[in-house]
Amino acid sequence: MKGWKIWLRPGLAVVEISASDQLNYYLTSLDELGEVLIDSEKSEAVGRGILRLTLGTIMASKGAIFLYKQNNKKLSLLASQGINNTGSFSAPKELIRQTEKYRHSHIDIEPPPKWLTGQLKKDAHEISAKILIPLFHQKHLLGLLCVGKKFMGEAYTEAEIKILEIIANHLTKALYNYELIQNVEEKRNQLNVKLLELETLFDISIAISSVLNMEQLGEEILWRSVGILNASRGMMLIQRKNSPILKVTNEFNWGETSKLISKKLGIFKKIKETSRGEVLSSKDKDPIQKKLGEENIIIAPLQTKENILGYMILCNKETRSGVESFTEIDLELLSALCNQAAVALDNARLFKDITEAKQFNESILGSIATGVITLNPLGEVDSINQAGLNILNKEIDQIIGNHYMFLFEKDPEVIEIIQLAETENQTQTEINLSFKTVSEEAKVNVSAAPRLGPDGTVQGLVLAIEDITDVSKVKNTFKRYVSKQVVDELLDDDAKLNLGGEEREVTILFSDIRGFTNMSEKMNPEDVVTTLNEYFSEMIDIVFKYNGTLDKIIGDELMIVYGAPISNEDDTERAVKTAVEMQNKIFELNKSRKKKKKKPIEVGMGINRGIVVSGNIGSRDMMDYTVIGDTVNLGARLCSAAGPGEILVSSSVWKETQKQHKYKKLDPILVKGKKDKIAIYSVKNK
Amino acid sequence: MSDFSLTSREENKVVIIETTGYLNNVGGEKIAELCYKEINNGKNKFLLNLEGSKVVNSIGVSILIEIIEKLQDVDGKLGYYNLAPIVEKTFNIMGLTKYSTVYSSENEGLENMA
Repeated sequence: MKGWKIWLRPGLAVVEISASDQLNYYLTSLDELGEVLIDSEKSEAVGRGILRLTLGTIMASKGAIFLYKQNNKKLSLLASQGINNTGSFSAPKELIRQTEKYRHSHIDIEPPPKWLTGQLKKDAHEISAKILIPLFHQKHLLGLLCVGKKFMGEAYTEAEIKILEIIANHLTKALYNYELIQNVEEKRNQLNVKLLELETLFDISIAISSVLNMEQLGEEILWRSVGILNASRGMMLIQRKNSPILKVTNEFNWGETSKLISKKLGIFKKIKETSRGEVLSSKDKDPIQKKLGEENIIIAPLQTKENILGYMILCNKETRSGVESFTEIDLELLSALCNQAAVALDNARLFKDITEAKQFNESILGSIATGVITLNPLGEVDSINQAGLNILNKEIDQIIGNHYMFLFEKDPEVIEIIQLAETENQTQTEINLSFKTVSEEAKVNVSAAPRLGPDGTVQGLVLAIEDITDVSKVKNTFKRYVSKQVVDELLDDDAKLNLGGEEREVTILFSDIRGFTNMSEKMNPEDVVTTLNEYFSEMIDIVFKYNGTLDKIIGDELMIVYGAPISNEDDTERAVKTAVEMQNKIFELNKSRKKKKKKPIEVGMGINRGIVVSGNIGSRDMMDYTVIGDTVNLGARLCSAAGPGEILVSSSVWKETQKQHKYKKLDPILVKGKKDKIAIYSVKNK
Repeated sequence: MSDFSLTSREENKVVIIETTGYLNNVGGEKIAELCYKEINNGKNKFLLNLEGSKVVNSIGVSILIEIIEKLQDVDGKLGYYNLAPIVEKTFNIMGLTKYSTVYSSENEGLENMA
């Protein structure tokens, strides 16, 4: 082995180095090589270290290590001294064939062989390359070690070339290891991405059950989809009933531009037909690309079992070097996300519909006057409307959860209706029930109906309670005075019911039993009461038959009003008819009394028509609906003047009814409170 | 969420960068550009406030990894705070949090990095 010549400094003497020193130097270099190989985790750092060590060992100033990628047949610089080129470039076509024969040796490339072409030739020229060592691991070319000319242009010694090959062998193994590590890194990265995709799907499945706000849910799903697919922007479109335009419910990174996208676009029709999303790239010329101003688009339907709710559109798959088209794998992932999204959105939509329907029902139930109570299958109250609370006069906390047996324990009839509805599975109704749950006076109409679920099974009961206490009061109050027909008429139309003081024209009928005081003195008290009850009962039936208002019963006298509280055109006619029928009835009664050897009842009657003041008159504690005025007084005077079985009427009554009845004009009479005599007429009632 | 933007300030020799918008290729490059400029100025501690960046993609993550590698060369650190759960999960899964730290607040970040 020859020794080295070392130039210590330009112009200084050459120093010869012994072979042992040289060997020692090489061994030191190899030792350092080991350290370089394990010193750094990065291939670039190792490459730089090895190149420096190599060039230093063989006394060269320029050199380069190239990496070779088998998949694209490109070379790139791992490390260099003396080359400015960066980035990858195509390897010479003959590279593999020409270098594989030098798998464990070197190639002298001065002058450059013919196969050395392109960028590699230029780079080799730039560093005045003399030796090229292919870095083969088994059959695979991993890279090239290229060294320039030796210091001062000397030729490389055999030892130097040998040590170069040894270093190259180590470098090959290091590169192979790094390639393995790089592959593992890539695989790990791919696994991480897959894990992220799975996590995203999982997160969205969680969101389905936790987020019911459609807008929030749409945003969550869109953001996740954009991020996981490396899209630059995206939007979610939802179909609307009766509109050809898809509604943009959510968008990401799209700016303020308005988008009118029709669901009639061909791409959506195609998706609908195939039930599959679409990937569009620069090769396609779909109208939606022009519409969105993007070439790389991926569209997936938001699809439930029944229909397509809308679409997810993402644009531009990002890479470090720009954008590229989405792949079929991307479409599979987006479709999976959209399937989840569709379920979630459908849930949210159903929840919204149910909430709105519930609000609608509650607003209806809240606005009606009937109390509505729902009972669960256990018989406990699970809801009640405001009217129900008002009727029961309770707070909601006192009602909800209560069993109906406790709630209506004072009203066995109500409990019976509920139980009947349960057992018969049919609606049960009862009207005008006493409702002691509230008070002794309360009256209600109650209806209990089975509450059916979608599958027809009974899920409890609905109880409707109508408070008719006030109606009953009115009926009870008026039924003493007027016929049922008048009461119903009053209840049907409040406007007719004016119980305040007012002037109105009425017809008044008075009847009085002649000589009843004398007659009663000769009767025992029981007979007096029986006679009066029999008489009044028959008379009042006739009064109500003609819708008269029974104003007063004073002793044996009746005062009946026609035209208050409700006026009718035939008020006077009905008053006269009442009087005639009453006299006829008394005639019949007397026949019966005669058979029983009882004294006949003889009644005189007077009828007058004119203006009165009507209303609730009396004290705070004792108030009655009645009429007062001269008209009333004259009616009473006419009654007093009438003989037994006689009906006397004033001229106002005669004028209105002379065509319907036969009258006999009597001599005018003077009555108390009147200066002049008044004209009177007697009705011919038989 | 629209175009990406960022602002920066310095506290206790830590460069605090606040971002708004999608942390993607564009967003990542803007962060990297600022970081490399500050590294050249001798800074080596960076704290990212990602409150305004609710979405990140893997390109954005890969750029953050590049920044971390650069910072390792200058013995520097990268930290984050105000991360949306989805962003924190992405950072964890992609392995970012092995070489950088997520803090609960700016104060915690400054205390640990300064």
